[in-house]
This record gives sequence, structure tokens and C-alpha cells, in this order.
Amino acid sequence: MDLLLQVLVNGILQGGLYAIVALGLALVWGVLNIVNLAHGAFIMLGAYISWYTFHWWGLDPFLGLPLTAVVMFVLGYAIQRGLLNLIVRAPMFNTLLITFGLEVVLTYLAQLVFSADFRTINPVYSGHNTTVFGITIPLVRLAACVVAILLTLVMWYFLLHTRLGRAIRATAQNLSAARLYGVEPRHLYAVTFGLGLALAGAAGGLYGTVSQINPYIGATLTAKSFAIAIIGGLDTPLGVIVGGLILGLIESLTTLYVGPTYADVASFGVLILVLIIRPTGILGRTA
Amino acid sequence: MKHLRLPLILVVLVALALLPLYGTDTMVQFGISTLLLAVLAQGWNIIGGYTGYPSFGNSVFYGLGAYGVGIAMVQWQLPFAVGMAFGVVLAVAFALLLGIPVLRLKGHYFAIATLALAQIMAAIVSNVPLAGENIGLVLPPLNNDPFFYEMSLVLLVLATLTIWWLTRSRFGFGLIAIRENEEGAVVMGVDTTRYKVLAFALAGIFSALAGGIHAYWITFLDPESAFDITLNVKMIIMAVFGGPGTILGPIVGSFILSAISELLSSEVTSIAGLFFGIVIVVAVVLMPRGLADVMRRFRRTGWHYFIENIRMHRI
Repeated sequence: MDLLLQVLVNGILQGGLYAIVALGLALVWGVLNIVNLAHGAFIMLGAYISWYTFHWWGLDPFLGLPLTAVVMFVLGYAIQRGLLNLIVRAPMFNTLLITFGLEVVLTYLAQLVFSADFRTINPVYSGHNTTVFGITIPLVRLAACVVAILLTLVMWYFLLHTRLGRAIRATAQNLSAARLYGVEPRHLYAVTFGLGLALAGAAGGLYGTVSQINPYIGATLTAKSFAIAIIGGLDTPLGVIVGGLILGLIESLTTLYVGPTYADVASFGVLILVLIIRPTGILGRTA
Repeated sequence: MKHLRLPLILVVLVALALLPLYGTDTMVQFGISTLLLAVLAQGWNIIGGYTGYPSFGNSVFYGLGAYGVGIAMVQWQLPFAVGMAFGVVLAVAFALLLGIPVLRLKGHYFAIATLALAQIMAAIVSNVPLAGENIGLVLPPLNNDPFFYEMSLVLLVLATLTIWWLTRSRFGFGLIAIRENEEGAVVMGVDTTRYKVLAFALAGIFSALAGGIHAYWITFLDPESAFDITLNVKMIIMAVFGGPGTILGPIVGSFILSAISELLSSEVTSIAGLFFGIVIVVAVVLMPRGLADVMRRFRRTGWHYFIENIRMHRI
């Protein structure tokens, strides 16, 4: 019983982190209709930025998150303005392909620049645990989960209740109407993609505190982000919390009852099932 | 120009077929891997180029073909040809079982579902005792590179002839109708589900045969290398660079890109990977319909061709 509870807690902690891992992908997908296949690679990049600020300047990984997010925002704004805006009206497959290309470029650049070594961001408190009712809770994981959920809620509030957030949602619903009301799409698209990457960067920083990082973590993270975005649906940022928690729980339960090699099989199997049975997501509206 | 095309193709084909006589061992080996990649690109061309369903999971067929040969030859001591047939059976079964639900999905959703399938195959196979779990299988060696070379060439010719047949058959026109407008195709009486599944299976057959040849040639296979996801990157970019939905485009694309990547990887391995990524990004922006379209239109429009492509798709 204790073991089951422990596994459930682990799954929830992992699931909270997964929420922010997928949030940037879901935002860019929902607003720009671009499925960013490089999303995981940008998370990887964010993790390395976090690693360098921690190891060079001794900046605490949690305090360093805003810096990582700002750097990634600027990068995202530039990529959308200079590259992706050139093809947003092309067929869907072209946007898939170009972000696929970006993923390949980022992975190999990371391999050249950062080398293929495994790295971890381990502040002094990284080994600390707290025990509640016999269940061990690693502090860093708890903090990463809480920060991830908080950031998701902030994003949700931002999209619903701020002027810029409304402009972004209006663009997602109807580009020409939004244009008539004075929204400048080139700039707004770039801001949205920048926000997507800022979230990816923050996710990378958090990910680095709980897992090892290397140049190849991107592809799996992209695939998991899809699974989360699809399970939760794209209509509301809160969907990724539901999707993230479901994925986290599926993975930890499969690891316990079936075996660790089947964790990915289970999560992607659920992804395929959800795609086939209910492509709008569990929370999504039916078409 | 048009009447010269067929003789030119035949001359190139004869020159390719005779390569083992005048080429070095390295050239033959490079030839085998290039021809197999070209077969994969042609397989992708059927489902992605002609039917308009961008599969990111054709590497699964390749892996199934490789394991078909591996299991038949190592576990059951059967001849290579039986192994190839077994690989084809596995690929067709996969295409039918998973193709029917997955091909109902459109656009992003189809791409993602196939990508997810590609990601889990290695994990599944590494738990199957018959497939040697994650240790893999060691096949009986056959040191006969010219044999593998000619077999790959024949397979590429077969795949290309199939695509040529597609461009002039009722089935092929049905696929193109699905790509251009699926609802319209249904209205015109195309049984879209059957057509899409058949196209997926056809792509799967050629990819599986390529995987089978590769497995016997390399004489070793394990889950990670047989179900290598980066293979999807290669086959898609080769088909798209050359010209998706054309008969010869994917072959030209694979030959050019394989040659460049071979030259680059003789310097630094990771540079070749970087090169593929950059080619994808640049090609999507400047020539999204591939080399075939550049050849058709460049003479008339000149350098404006590339600017026009950007102008059409930007905001």
C-alpha cells in the first residue's frame, strides 16, 4: 500500500513538471497552428542555459529560471520573425518539416558545442527529502512541480485576462478579424512563439534539476509533449495539467507493475488511443 | 528534351548496374546504402508524396523487414528469401492493423501518431524473446557486396516502376484525389479507407524489403538500430528535396544528399547530421516542392522562383 502511494506521489510530481514541458508546445500549436517538432530540443537548450548559469555564476537553478526564459524568448521571437513567418501560410506539412529540421540542427549543434556528456544541475539542497506519512518527497522534485504548476496557472491567467493574451487568443480564432482590430500578426506570432520558447526554457531549467541532460533528450520530450497536449486538449492551458498528471501517473504505475522498459510504450500507446478515440483531448470540445 | 529522357534513364541504369565491375569496394558499399535509402524515399513517396499523408513512422516497416529476415534466418534456420517474405508479411500486417485506425487521422494528428508508433517499436521488440530482446540477432555472414548491391538496385527499380504505374492507374489517381481533396474523392466514389491502407501497405512492403536486405548485409541487428527514428528524417528529406509526388525526384534527392553527406561525414560525423537539418530548413523556405519543381520552372522564372516561394507563404 505504501509502495503504491509512493508511486502515485512520484507520478504526480513528475506530472506537474510534464505540464510545463508541454505548455509551450500547446500554446504555439493552438495559436499558430504550428506543431513545433523542435520543442523538446528547445527544452534541452533551456536546460543547458540553466546548467551554464549555475556552473559559471553559481546562480540557483530556480532563481535562474527568469534569465533562461528571457534568453529563450528573444531566440523564439527572432526565429519566428526571421524564419517561421516566411512559411506560416504554407501547407501544414511544411511547418512540421521545418521545425523537424530545426530539431536536427539544434541536436547536432548541442552535440558539437556542449559535447555528449551527461550533466546534472545539483544545488546543495538537491539530496534533501521530507517524509510525510511514510512517503518520501524529494524537495527539488516538489519545488519543480510547484513552480511548473504555478507557471501554467500564470500563463492561463495571462491568456484570459490581459490585453496581449486576448490579442493572442483572438489571432488563434480568426486572423483576419484580429487584424481588423489592429493586431499586427507578424509581431504577435513572434511574441507567441517567443512565449512558447520561454516556457520551454523554464521547463528545461526545471527538468535539469530532476533529471540528467544531454543533447539527445529533445526527441522524447517532444513526443511526450504531444502526448500531454493531445490527452489534455489544446483549448485551455489547464489541459496540460490534466494531460501531464495522467502521463506522469501512467508512467510511474507502468514502471511499478509492468516494468520500466514499458513506461514509454504505455504513454505513447495511450497517446495513440486518445488520438483515435477522442482527437480533441479529454477536456477538449467535441467537433 | 522529353524524348531523350528514357534513353538517358536507361544509360544511367546500365552504368549503375555495372558499378561493381569498375567501382571500388567502398563505392559499392556506399552504393548499397544509398540505393536502400532511395528505396525508403520512394516508399515514403507513395504514402507521403502521392497520398498526402506525411508518415513519420515508415522506419517501423524497415525494422519489421529487418527482423523478418533476422528471425527467419537465425531462429528458424530458413533461407534469406523466406525471411524477406516473412518481413513483408509483418509489414503488411502492421499496415493493415494500425493503418486502419491511424489513417483516419488527418494532418498533424496523423504525423504525430506515426511518430509515436516509431518511438515505441524499439521498446516493444527489445522485450520479445524471439527477436533476441535487446541483445539483438547475429545473422550468418555473406561476404558478397555485389550481390547486395544488385539486389538493392533491382528493388529500387521495382519501387520506381510501381510509382510509374501509380501515375497512370485508377488506383494512383485515387491516391492523388485523396491528397488534393479527400472529401471530394469520397464524393467521386473513391473508397478512401481502402486506398489509403493499400498505399500505406505498399510503402511498407518496399521499406520492409530494404530493411531485410540491410539486415543480411550488415549481419547484425538490434532494436535501436533496426527501428532507428532518424531514418525517417533521412527518407523524408530525400523525398521532399528531390520532389515529393514525382517519379524520379526522390531518387535524385537521395543520390545528391547521400553523396554530400558522405563527403561531409568523412570530415566530422556530426557535421553530416547538421547538414541534413540545414538542408531541410532551407529547402522548406526556398523550394518547398523540391528539385523537380525547380527544374520545371526555373528556366522561365530564374532566381525569382525562390523569392516567389517566400512571397506566397509569408505573412
